[in-house]
Amino acid sequence: MGVFTRAVRNISRRKMRALLVIIALGFSMAVMISVPAGIVANQESSQNMASFLKGTLNNLEQEINTTADQIVVRNSSTPASTGFPGGGFAGGQYRGGGFAGGFFNGRAEGSYINEKIVNASVISQIPGVVAVVPELEHSEVTLENITTRFGTRPFPEIEYTIWGVSLNSSLIDNYSILPTNVTVGRNLHENDTGVVVLSQNSSEYFGAGVGDTLSISGQNFKVVGIYQPSSNQTRDIYMNISDAQTLTNMTGEVSQFTVYAQNSSDVDAIATAISDIPVSSSVAQTLSITDVNTLENNLSNATSLYNDALAAAQSTTSQEQNTAIQDIAIAVVATSLIVLFVMLYTVRERTKEIGTLKAIGFSNWNVMSQFMLEGMLLSLGAGVVGIAIGSIGASSLAGVLGLIPAASRNSLFGSSGSTAFRYSPGAGSGVFGSAAAHAATAVITPQLMLIALGGAILLGALGSLYPAWRASRTRPAEAMKYE
Amino acid sequence: MGKRKVSALSGLNLQVNKGEFVAIMGPSGSGKTTLLNILGCLDKPTAGKAVLNDVDVTKLPEKKLCEIRRNKIGFVFQTFNLLPYLNAIENVELPMESTKKSRSERRRRAQELLEIVGLSGREGHRPHKLSAGEQQRVAIARALANNPDIVLADEPTGNLDQKNKFEIVRLLGKLNIDQGTTIIMVTHDGQMAAHTERVLLLNDGKIMKERQGLHLVKKKLMCPYCGAKIQLSDARCPSCRKRL
Repeated sequence: MGVFTRAVRNISRRKMRALLVIIALGFSMAVMISVPAGIVANQESSQNMASFLKGTLNNLEQEINTTADQIVVRNSSTPASTGFPGGGFAGGQYRGGGFAGGFFNGRAEGSYINEKIVNASVISQIPGVVAVVPELEHSEVTLENITTRFGTRPFPEIEYTIWGVSLNSSLIDNYSILPTNVTVGRNLHENDTGVVVLSQNSSEYFGAGVGDTLSISGQNFKVVGIYQPSSNQTRDIYMNISDAQTLTNMTGEVSQFTVYAQNSSDVDAIATAISDIPVSSSVAQTLSITDVNTLENNLSNATSLYNDALAAAQSTTSQEQNTAIQDIAIAVVATSLIVLFVMLYTVRERTKEIGTLKAIGFSNWNVMSQFMLEGMLLSLGAGVVGIAIGSIGASSLAGVLGLIPAASRNSLFGSSGSTAFRYSPGAGSGVFGSAAAHAATAVITPQLMLIALGGAILLGALGSLYPAWRASRTRPAEAMKYE
Repeated sequence: MGKRKVSALSGLNLQVNKGEFVAIMGPSGSGKTTLLNILGCLDKPTAGKAVLNDVDVTKLPEKKLCEIRRNKIGFVFQTFNLLPYLNAIENVELPMESTKKSRSERRRRAQELLEIVGLSGREGHRPHKLSAGEQQRVAIARALANNPDIVLADEPTGNLDQKNKFEIVRLLGKLNIDQGTTIIMVTHDGQMAAHTERVLLLNDGKIMKERQGLHLVKKKLMCPYCGAKIQLSDARCPSCRKRL
């Protein structure tokens, strides 16, 4: 029979009281655990998004450097693409609606260039143009309802993107219109039809490898190659543009023309000439022309937005850390006070027992350690309960405490000012007009659990220190008279 | 007490020799428990001294007093004061926890003491499953755990029926004879006091009278009533059949 066994038996004498105290303390401990978990989650989320954005901006800069002699022609009802095929962005996902609203499920309407109005041969006649590459881009989008602080909103989730490219040998050989880094199988060849090349993510998404038949919207395609994208893990499918047009019921339409100039110095003149191409007023189709100047402006705006977002994120993180410190301080004080009052009551209840113990030769230290151990055991139990509650509901608790907002928009748009991001790298989302934001997920790591248990024991010791000291100071002669 | 000074003991001089079985009798409020607390190092006199084995305990710090209580003194209380969450053998082992004895030694000693007090087979019972008399026996065994020089019993029979009272006093007497333990028993029951060696009458904080008890004669293995030879284990005199 030792002090530990006596402590356990004493606690179990009043099972209901012990249970209630442990549960009450447990919630306090759960708050203490969820706060750092929430902070870490928020910081990780911010860091991840900052890295993602930085990477995206770097890609954009690279693309600008490599596409100084290119002009992208789109239908002007499509938001100007900030990227190029094969680059870091998948422009044109938000068609006709942009990112402020108007999400579409499936195919978007009114976003394509009708080749009867404007086609490659018309553009290629402009002086200085060496090549015109038509391209059809189509994304399968599903809408998912996400709860934000502004209410439940539908956010588009891009499942996969089809890239229809012109498989002309002069274009394939001279321009980057096909994916690079094919790791399995082969790339598309001139005049290939009924075949596709998948990104790694697409291959995993569809569960299809080289040689397999992939069914898309009821049409079968043979997979001939799988490539590893260099940056974003997009789910892309490359095929002959005519196959893509047939598959998507867009025969005679393209998403964009990429126009290659002889010299980058001709780009402005060519862009002007393209904008002067007469289009029928009966067709609601005006052209949007994006050249390197536009891209550089966009990059400048994006960089500015990125810096603003970072500053906002840092400010929010700093505020949240202050909030976290306050939350933890309150929880620490509450826990200590609960232990203090419970142990004070316990000491008073057992005054006679303390007198007996001292009478039979227990020292002040024996008595003090007995009661401190009981306080620490109660807190330890609370720590276990707190970890259990935290493991289940850390994100909710951290959200309630204002450390992790519910899923909210990317703060680049400043619509919420939140630093919680959601990005779906597997779905080819771009930064501007990206998919819905995920709330950051607070996770209770094993290290946090150990710290929580250690903290619980410490708080138990702190809370029971005074009552235990008082118990040890009890005068046996007076204690024996206590009823 | 409160704002008024009350003299529980005043001008009291007492000497108890080693191996004596002494009863201190007196009415309620006469200072019996105060005297016992001072003798047991649970309290200190405002004036005077208490000497135990040539050591003035009134001058010792709390740490030393604790050691004395552990090693030299055993207490038996009127309300038994057993710990309800420990069984009989664990209660007896309790005073030995702070000593250097190993777990097995403590267990063996506790077993032995429970046998002496006649509670073999009840080691695993918690106090609420023992009768009052059995609880007091466990308390006596606990008091003997560290081989104390002196056992202080504060109204040990106060909460017992007549039969158990005699059993307890007999037990204390037997321990006094077998082990030579000095026993000071506080009681207001004259019948019980008579079965000790010396009976001191306390009143108003002073010892008023002293007389011999029956136990002195028993120590000489003689019936205190008819003088016949007796055995220590006899509950009644084989000759005159009077209760011993």
